[in-house]
Amino acid sequence: MTGPLVEIENLRVAFRNDDGSWNDAVRGVSFSLGREKLGIVGESGSGKSLTGRSLLGVLPDYARISADRLRFDGIDLTTASPKLRRSLRGGRMGMILQDPKYSLNPVMNVGKQIIEAIRIGDRKLSGAEARRQAVTSLEAVQIRDPERVMGLYPHELSGGMGQRVMIAMMVVREPDLLIADEPTSALDVTVRTQVLSIMDELVTRRGMGLIFISHDLNLVSKFCDRVIVMYAGRIVETLDAKNLHAAQHPYTRGLLACLPSIDGSLEPLPTLTRDASWLEAAS
Amino acid sequence: MITVENLTVRFSGSTAVDTVSFTVAQGESFGLVGESGSGKSTILRTMVGLNRHWSGRIIINGMDARTTRQRDLARTAQMVFQDPYGSLHPRYTIGQQIAEPMLINGIADPVGRTAELLDLIGLGAKFQFRFPHELSGGQRQRVAIARALSLSPRILLLDEPTSALDVSIQAEILNLLNRLRRELGLTFVIVSHDLAVISYMCERLMVMRNAREVETLTREQLRASDVRDDYSRQLLAAS
Ligand SMILES: Nc1ncnc2c1ncn2[C@@H]1O[C@H](COP(=O)(O)OP(=O)(O)OP(=O)(O)O)[C@@H](O)[C@H]1O
Ligand SMILES: Nc1ncnc2c1ncn2[C@@H]1O[C@H](COP(=O)(O)OP(=O)(O)OP(=O)(O)O)[C@@H](O)[C@H]1O
Ligand SMILES: [Mg+2]
Ligand SMILES: [Mg+2]
Repeated sequence: MTGPLVEIENLRVAFRNDDGSWNDAVRGVSFSLGREKLGIVGESGSGKSLTGRSLLGVLPDYARISADRLRFDGIDLTTASPKLRRSLRGGRMGMILQDPKYSLNPVMNVGKQIIEAIRIGDRKLSGAEARRQAVTSLEAVQIRDPERVMGLYPHELSGGMGQRVMIAMMVVREPDLLIADEPTSALDVTVRTQVLSIMDELVTRRGMGLIFISHDLNLVSKFCDRVIVMYAGRIVETLDAKNLHAAQHPYTRGLLACLPSIDGSLEPLPTLTRDASWLEAAS
Repeated sequence: MITVENLTVRFSGSTAVDTVSFTVAQGESFGLVGESGSGKSTILRTMVGLNRHWSGRIIINGMDARTTRQRDLARTAQMVFQDPYGSLHPRYTIGQQIAEPMLINGIADPVGRTAELLDLIGLGAKFQFRFPHELSGGQRQRVAIARALSLSPRILLLDEPTSALDVSIQAEILNLLNRLRRELGLTFVIVSHDLAVISYMCERLMVMRNAREVETLTREQLRASDVRDDYSRQLLAAS
């Protein structure tokens, strides 16, 4: 496999306004991804999730999407058949959605769902073996009492358990590309560290590409290789993750200034004054 | 304002909350932190009457949570849920959902106040005709906060109120919450995994693990890493 895993050029996604005109939610996003951890940070509503969904092919059908290039491992996704895209989603591409509990099947217990995911990957596996692997995958994401949790339905999971079940289901499939949308926002720091190391291992050991959408700037700068900063549907800046704190764009700098810290001041937090010129920033 | 005594919550054989006690004074902000799955959301849900099977005692502004009607509790204490998607009805517009509690409780000018609340959370009145699926995760979370504020409750129970928000909106929401607390004398219980948020927002906090209290700390102790328990120390070290 040569060339980047993902290539996106001039991606646009628009929705209709009430008056029939189109409103661009993603406005010309371009980036490529290798077998690395790419973070996407940025304002709420800036198009991070839509970018991930476009790549996976799970936008609502009333959305208008266009791109000069949208490729996954050389496959042109703009012309790929719905059947091919479905099979990619079931196998080589995976996404952990921002509302994990709502992407699980509400009427099937967690264990059945993980076992199903395992058996799609390896149809020859015995039921008992698949079950054993499912329990192991829950242990790996630090679920206490995995046997009990196997029998729970999604609405019986805590927020962070829902996220970890989704992560376990993705990890057992070992996809080539994983888009993780706020995958650890509900995890305490110690569990989070363990879960991140599992994802990291998939990248380093299996050469998976990871798109990691998060609003946690410190986490992204520690965990990812590169970071894209989005604002109002565009990329305003791309940085090496370790240099995030030396960001140049005033929006990124503003973001860093808004963070509370454990021993910081108790005065009102600085907030951003959004500048109209940021809307036109180079993408 | 809030007394929780020996609260125990069980779900078919497993114990989600095990003899937990704490009190929160009028106007105070109390944090709950700890392991994922340790029972934090369950405590809040039980306080607003969303769990049937529990033992112990819960008193909210003088009302016994066991015998008070949920509607009366709701006027005093409102909860912002951890997953905003699940707490919003998919088929009603944002405006309808913010106005609904006001209509039920006969509050004057629900339409005007809905627009006001949408401004307050930084979305603007134009969002009132949208449906939840047309919003980003952070936008939905802000709608949930607006709806909780609509009845002007005296207590807000906030479950990960900003974990779905980018940090600039988080800063705006935290400032807003602090201002409301000061101006309206609100009492908060805040669940968060972000110790920086807890340290910024709360005067005291309880650390939980495996359904139990680990220890309760003051903000000063948190800031000075003055903790007794190894688990709390781990949490701090990883933050
Ligand atoms: N189905 C839809 N219909 C109309 N507008 C939509 C739809 N889905 C998303 N949008 C709009 O597109 C914009 C980008 O949404 P997106 O979900 O990508 O944001 P995001 O960057 O992931 O934000 P967050 O950090 O809050 O999750 C938002 O303004 C949102 O309201
Ligand atoms: N309706 C239910 N049926 C069965 N078990 C439940 C139910 N609701 C919660 N639980 C269990 O109670 C425990 C505590 O869950 P809770 O949601 O309170 O955790 P939490 O501390 O909020 O975790 P997180 O930080 O991950 O959100 C979990 O083991 C969960 O599976
Ligand atoms: Mg999103
Ligand atoms: Mg919870």
